[in-house]
Amino acid sequence: MGSVRTAGLSVRLALIIVAASALLIPAFAGPFWVFVAIEVVVFALYAVTFNLLFGFGGMLPFGHAAFFGLGAYAVAVLVKKAAWHPLLALGAAPFACAVAAAFVAVFCVRLTGIYLGMLSFAFQMLLYTVIFKWYSLTGGDDGLSGLAVPGLLGRPEALYYLSLALVAVSLAFLWRLVHSPFGKGLQAAKSNPHKSAAIGINVALHRGIAFVIAGAFAGLAGALFALANQSVFPGWLNWTASAVPIVMTVLGGVHSFIGPVIGSAVYVVLQTVLTGYTEYWALILGALVIGIVMLMPEGIMGYFRG
Amino acid sequence: MDFIASLDWITDPTVLARQFMAGLSNGALLFLVAAGLSLIFGVSRIINFAHGAVYMLGAYFAWTVVGAASRSPLIFAAAIVFSTLASFVFGVLFEILFLRRIYRSDQAFQLLVTFGLVLILGDAVRLIWGREENSALVPAGLEGATRILGVVMPTYRMFLIAVGAAVCIVLWLVLYRSRIGVLIRAATVDREMLKALGVRTDRIFTLVFGLGCGLAGLAGGLSVPIVSVGPGLHSQVLIEAFAVVVIGGMGSFPGALVGAFLLGQANAFGVLAAPALAIVLPFVVMTLVLMFRPWGLFGRPD
Repeated sequence: MGSVRTAGLSVRLALIIVAASALLIPAFAGPFWVFVAIEVVVFALYAVTFNLLFGFGGMLPFGHAAFFGLGAYAVAVLVKKAAWHPLLALGAAPFACAVAAAFVAVFCVRLTGIYLGMLSFAFQMLLYTVIFKWYSLTGGDDGLSGLAVPGLLGRPEALYYLSLALVAVSLAFLWRLVHSPFGKGLQAAKSNPHKSAAIGINVALHRGIAFVIAGAFAGLAGALFALANQSVFPGWLNWTASAVPIVMTVLGGVHSFIGPVIGSAVYVVLQTVLTGYTEYWALILGALVIGIVMLMPEGIMGYFRG
Repeated sequence: MDFIASLDWITDPTVLARQFMAGLSNGALLFLVAAGLSLIFGVSRIINFAHGAVYMLGAYFAWTVVGAASRSPLIFAAAIVFSTLASFVFGVLFEILFLRRIYRSDQAFQLLVTFGLVLILGDAVRLIWGREENSALVPAGLEGATRILGVVMPTYRMFLIAVGAAVCIVLWLVLYRSRIGVLIRAATVDREMLKALGVRTDRIFTLVFGLGCGLAGLAGGLSVPIVSVGPGLHSQVLIEAFAVVVIGGMGSFPGALVGAFLLGQANAFGVLAAPALAIVLPFVVMTLVLMFRPWGLFGRPD
């Protein structure tokens, strides 16, 4: 935890400013921008879970959206088909995703590079196709809607504070995790799996645990997003959706815990503003993505760090 | 939900032959796309997420030449040649301008560059050709049905099988019987060594990426009379090509051939046997292969 204690004064000041402005958003912004703020917060967590695997674990899953989508659908199905309270469903979703992630992890962690990515992709497409086709349970192409949280908690500001609190706690946990002995072991396994194994690090176990944790928190992000949208759509776990956390992570900076959070904020705000002006947002995003990879591969954080 | 449909057809040779031929013609198109994807991966280790988008681009190129009402075989032939060559040139330019700079970068960056191309092409075709779904006619001489082996088959499907087989033979000759083929196969085994031996490997990378895109463009052009050419055309093709390449073995040419054949047949018979399961079958097989034999049927373990 050394790095937590030795964090400089400027870092603490920045954290306080960010926290204060995050808390004040609903006081100044209308419902639309509160919704955008929820999206930023939720995708920040989602992108950080991806970077736990990629930046810290050296794994590049092509199908991470499977867990985001599964979390969202877990909430939707529990609420619509089993008549659960939305908040209870929100609590259950990460566990469903952890179980699914554990199953995938058993096979993924033994693979390297492209094969791990492809297996994750195959699992995602399997899940996507089942959700797309299982009309009676999932609503197929139409998705499921009407997931309003009853009472005061259903107001946009309340959902925002709920998301902010849950994401803040999750990020604090993930921050601790990557700076714990477990996190160091995970990063060692990334840099050199053979040497790590030789000094007694169980590489497969470290990767597997990271996979389960990333899956569970990605599921929490998806579940929060489902409640904020009051609906879920199969597109959330289609293959193109898996690129979103990758774009956010690279945009913000891979070699930084906070990079994906910044990437999420920039991405979501950019998308919100640009889609107001043009229907060709994807064209701009594509050019932006290629531009970043070519010109500033260390992302925004890397740029400021010099 | 009835997972297993009636199996009466299983003793009907006409149905069996018809499904087999239908699977073969779909497999032929799939082979063209997957062979390019696999070749590109084998040489450059890049997974081209834009491969389906290039296929779509090829379809639009061909449709632009053919139009909605032409039946002329000459114009159709010109359209196919154009879609192949234009996609080849597109691939060469993209490789030189972008991919070439990131071969040493992390895989995530390579993924993002090809994914960025997916986003750009997806919107570019909307900008250039609009949102409509376009269709074209089967050229004269290839319309109607032909009787072969006692089965009545759409002639155009037979034509696709013939083209697929011809391209397969030409590709095989190039890869296994020509000097450039030796170099391409050497690059899939050890590019550093090949470079150390004085071969201009950058040219091979450019050529192979262009070739792969050309094959995708060819498949896109050929599919114009049997699909509707619209902005969503790329997704299904890419996913099926991924499945083929994984099943056959990433980077393996025979793997792409066998994988495309198997997936074509699995789709054709799966639809009859268990329609609800057929759609997930490619991913189930893909998952199983990766779990137990990640290098595929014909690939080599790393």
